[in-house]
Amino acid sequence: MSARNRGTELDQVGGATEEGVDLPSSLHPTGMHTSGFGCFPMEPEALNLSWISKMQVNQPAVLRRAQQIQARRTVKKEWQAAWLLKAVTFIDLTTLSGDDTSSNIQRLCYKAKYPIREDLLKTLNMHDKGLTTAAVCVYPARVCDAVRALKAAGCTIPVASVATGFPAGQTHLKTRLEEIRLAVEDGATEIDVVINRTLVLTGQWEGSDFIKTSTGKETVNATFPVAIVMLRAIRDFFWKTGNKVGFKPAGGIRSAKDSLAWLSLVKEELGDEWLTPDLFRIGASTLLSDIERQVCNNPLSWDKLTSVFLRKKRKIPYWAMRTREKTSSDLPHCTQTSAFIQANPHLKWADWTRERECA
Amino acid sequence: MFMGYFPSVQDKNWGGQRGAGVPLPKDSGQKLSSPSCLPDPILNSLRLPQAWLDTQDRHLGHYVNGKWLKPEHRNSVPCQDPITGERLAICLQAQAEDVVAAVEAAGTAFENWSGLPGASRAQHLLRLAKMIQKHQRLLWTLESLVTGRAVREVRDGDVPLAQQLLQYHAVQAYTQEEVLAGWEPMGVIGLILSPTFSFLEMMWRICPALAVGCTVVVLVPPASPTPLLLAQLAGELGSFPGILNVISGPASLGPVLASQPGVQKVTFCGAIEEGRALRRTLAGKGAELGLALGAESLLMLTEAADVDSAVEGVVDAAWSDRSAGGLRLLIQESVWDETMRRLQERMARLRGGRGLDGAVDMGARGAAAHDLAQRYVREARSQGAQVFQAGAVPSDSPFFPPTLVSDLPPASPCTQAEVPWPVVVASPFRTAKEALAVANGTPRGASASVWSERLGQALELGYGLRVGTVWINAHGLRNAEVPTGGCKESGSSWSGGPDGLYEYLRPSGTPARLSYFSENLNYGTFGLAVPSTLPAGPEIGPSPATPYGLLIGGHFQAPGARSSRPIQDAQGNLHGYVAEGGAKDIRGAVEAAHQAAPGWVGQSPGARATLLWALATALERREAALTSRLERHGTELKDAKVEVELSARQLRAWGARAQAQGHVLQVAGLKGPVLRLREPLGVLAIVCPDEWPLLAFVSLLAAALAHGNTVVLVPSGACPIPALELCQDMAALLPAGLVNVVTGDRDHLTRCLALHQDVQALWYFGSAQGSQFVEWASAGNLKPVWVNRGCPWAWDQEAKGAGRELGLRAARTKALWLPMGD
Repeated sequence: MSARNRGTELDQVGGATEEGVDLPSSLHPTGMHTSGFGCFPMEPEALNLSWISKMQVNQPAVLRRAQQIQARRTVKKEWQAAWLLKAVTFIDLTTLSGDDTSSNIQRLCYKAKYPIREDLLKTLNMHDKGLTTAAVCVYPARVCDAVRALKAAGCTIPVASVATGFPAGQTHLKTRLEEIRLAVEDGATEIDVVINRTLVLTGQWEGSDFIKTSTGKETVNATFPVAIVMLRAIRDFFWKTGNKVGFKPAGGIRSAKDSLAWLSLVKEELGDEWLTPDLFRIGASTLLSDIERQVCNNPLSWDKLTSVFLRKKRKIPYWAMRTREKTSSDLPHCTQTSAFIQANPHLKWADWTRERECA
Repeated sequence: MFMGYFPSVQDKNWGGQRGAGVPLPKDSGQKLSSPSCLPDPILNSLRLPQAWLDTQDRHLGHYVNGKWLKPEHRNSVPCQDPITGERLAICLQAQAEDVVAAVEAAGTAFENWSGLPGASRAQHLLRLAKMIQKHQRLLWTLESLVTGRAVREVRDGDVPLAQQLLQYHAVQAYTQEEVLAGWEPMGVIGLILSPTFSFLEMMWRICPALAVGCTVVVLVPPASPTPLLLAQLAGELGSFPGILNVISGPASLGPVLASQPGVQKVTFCGAIEEGRALRRTLAGKGAELGLALGAESLLMLTEAADVDSAVEGVVDAAWSDRSAGGLRLLIQESVWDETMRRLQERMARLRGGRGLDGAVDMGARGAAAHDLAQRYVREARSQGAQVFQAGAVPSDSPFFPPTLVSDLPPASPCTQAEVPWPVVVASPFRTAKEALAVANGTPRGASASVWSERLGQALELGYGLRVGTVWINAHGLRNAEVPTGGCKESGSSWSGGPDGLYEYLRPSGTPARLSYFSENLNYGTFGLAVPSTLPAGPEIGPSPATPYGLLIGGHFQAPGARSSRPIQDAQGNLHGYVAEGGAKDIRGAVEAAHQAAPGWVGQSPGARATLLWALATALERREAALTSRLERHGTELKDAKVEVELSARQLRAWGARAQAQGHVLQVAGLKGPVLRLREPLGVLAIVCPDEWPLLAFVSLLAAALAHGNTVVLVPSGACPIPALELCQDMAALLPAGLVNVVTGDRDHLTRCLALHQDVQALWYFGSAQGSQFVEWASAGNLKPVWVNRGCPWAWDQEAKGAGRELGLRAARTKALWLPMGD
């Protein structure tokens, strides 16, 4: 079983391996190289620590951007429902309590397999699409329970484990490495590593293939300004080296509205390429229930939701879909909608979901 | 590769649909009852403004004296949705008589309104703020529908700021009697808006005017319902109906409004060329003219900047619906590639679309703005520039994509022309010094931002830029407490903060402004020829030889014309000869003043004060000579002594005042200070009056020097000799070129100065015709001018000679925003 060294929890960029000790070979990043981003030719370079010292971040400007981004891409109605379901697929459904037992791990795994009530999914015509969360995330000692429960439920949701002296990371290197090995032996396929922040603060950085805002156990956890800085660093790193580093905000993301803001933030700063569970996760424990509540409250029965949700790229433009609606339904508002769309050509572009809201 | 969210060519099977109109659900109740078939959200938000337009039967007139005015037999203009072309309403075009009615209503209202205690006016403004709050949704949907701007910007930016403006100015009204003692409201104010300026620009100007007790007539372009709605909201408060009147009509009505008797001041917001034309038309007319021109801004990106945040600054400045104009972008060479890549990447994520759509970054702004941008881009391309646009928009689309122009040849006309919305023109620079030279080389000077994480560099650039507003590491922030305005061709009208209030105030006791327009004045020949001067008889009298020559660049020199003019004393005898200066001497003097400027600006206020005080001492030493000179020109001995004494006092008073300039503002919502700086105008030309020949000369000179200006002075025509006496001390005491004094034919010298493009401001105290000419000629480089309109002043009175008006006029304001954070 191979595991990916997935998370390094830190308010800043990058991760560090310490004291020059090699990680187990199975933990090495897979090194995804993707060619070309935009029209600029890319010549991958090796990580160069001088990039970090050249980095400039203007805090007031980042704060303003963080404020704007939350107001600029609010989504409503069927698009909101689609975005919410998309958000579910990014959740690392997490329980990190001292009193976790196999029974609540079982419940957690069941929830991961069936994140939204079946009847709601049926209304949305999404019941047979295999919608699950991205992973479950537990303490190392509970990995066995989680793997067993998921196997029993017959699904392949990966199990992630926090390791290495979570949440402080202030234990010996030897015990931390051992912790990782044990978790992997138990069946964890993803490990959230708490890096040695002492090394970071003294400027000894190294790369990572996923970065995380925080452990979720701090007083201040995932915030937008910090995320903006991290996402920009991810993009710069990709531009420079061709490596795509993933991003995981964790802690304090409780409401469905928050999760939408996080999705739009990633979409705006990095683009749709990053909106996949391989590169984006939300660490949360109570978020899912709020999403379920919002989907439940969404009064709209959208038989077209499936296509809105599943469309990966702009193969069929949004407007074409809505125009087909005209032929399939003779509801008066639909006719008007499509007439409006015809009269309003600018509506004819969209990507996998259409964000829209009205004043 | 970068396809933005703008409609692409591939989507083009809707070509002929523009103008088809939006079918509106007439009967909406039934559809709303079932949640599963809500109408399209945009249609939903269209209802409110449509319903308001329906209350007017889709037939908008003017709002005058608290009532809708819909006169018959007027031309009408359709008000269209800029995207669909659908006709939303019909707007009546005002004619001269409607303007007369509005000015009359405002005049009547002024008597009540200006007499109210400030506290009552404050109350009324607060009620209007509440009224806006109650109807804000109507306000923002209407504005977005009609202008096509993104509703989000109107909702989250403009409307809250409009309320904030009212609240801030209510406080100012409340404290007016105390803080603004010695000033009174001007009277009826005319405000002329051009189509690119939104209702918010109107709020920026009507709020201070109403707060200090003026009443307003606003001339808005045809088909702009939002100002009318605001006037209606104000009118529906009941009391004081005539304080805000809005008429809509063509730009040609501007001069009609401005020349109405009773209109004391006209503020014009619009394009630079329109402002220039209006300046010429209004020369000699009664109303004072304030200009706020152009909308272009500038962004300076250094290698020490947070580039990603600076890119967001570019978006705020040009590719959002926040700004009205385009952007000139200066990028340091070392980060050029990186910045261009980030810009293009960011452009691809911008969304265009119908303004009422809440997730849209850029709407469409109608055919005029589209064509303007189109023309500019086409021109730039033909001159060899690289043009990058995110998303290919078909030519018949109402949308214009965000555009980035680079590699514009330095000599091409587009480099100098104003950049229109939504175009960004990027050019590289090597050093900060070079960037400053490029930035200050444009004729406009409204606003700019500097992006650098190096404090010293950011402040150096921020202080060095000749613009009205500078933001450090931010762009486009606005706040009611911070004065906003410009310099150079962007006009020198201010709004917001203390400067906004002074725009509509005048020192108490100033007579009302009347037209002094002279039909006979020929601008082409005024002061063109210098009357020839001949020897005028024997020099009589015991006085020592008069100083002779022009003080230019620190020493007396012979005039270029090599001729002299005789000066007669009160008895008609020859007092002496002074040099006959001409165009060539003026050129030399202005050049000398420019050379001296950097040194004088760099002096601390304390050092300036020391020099002025030394000059005062020197003046006192010459008291006997000066008194006898004045006496010979018919001044009583007693008065002459007073004049000399007051002159010395003026020098000392201004020297002392030089030390207390500018202050720091604390702004809500911003961490960090905003500095309100008072910067010198630059090279200031002063034509001194005949009355009080020494005192007026010294007062004007002292105020100008204290604020850091370098000056070219034309002393009194009838009695220049006392001023020349003082020049001997100035030549010895002051740095070379700081003060230049040119004697000669006043009309001719005035002509040379007023038409000179490098003279940055001009004060004229002389004949009515001269004043009119100066106002007309200032349109060239739009230099701020101050004229006495042919009326002599009582310079011995404290209010005039040392009044705050002189202090206000002698420097220009600059707001420097310094947001902070770690």
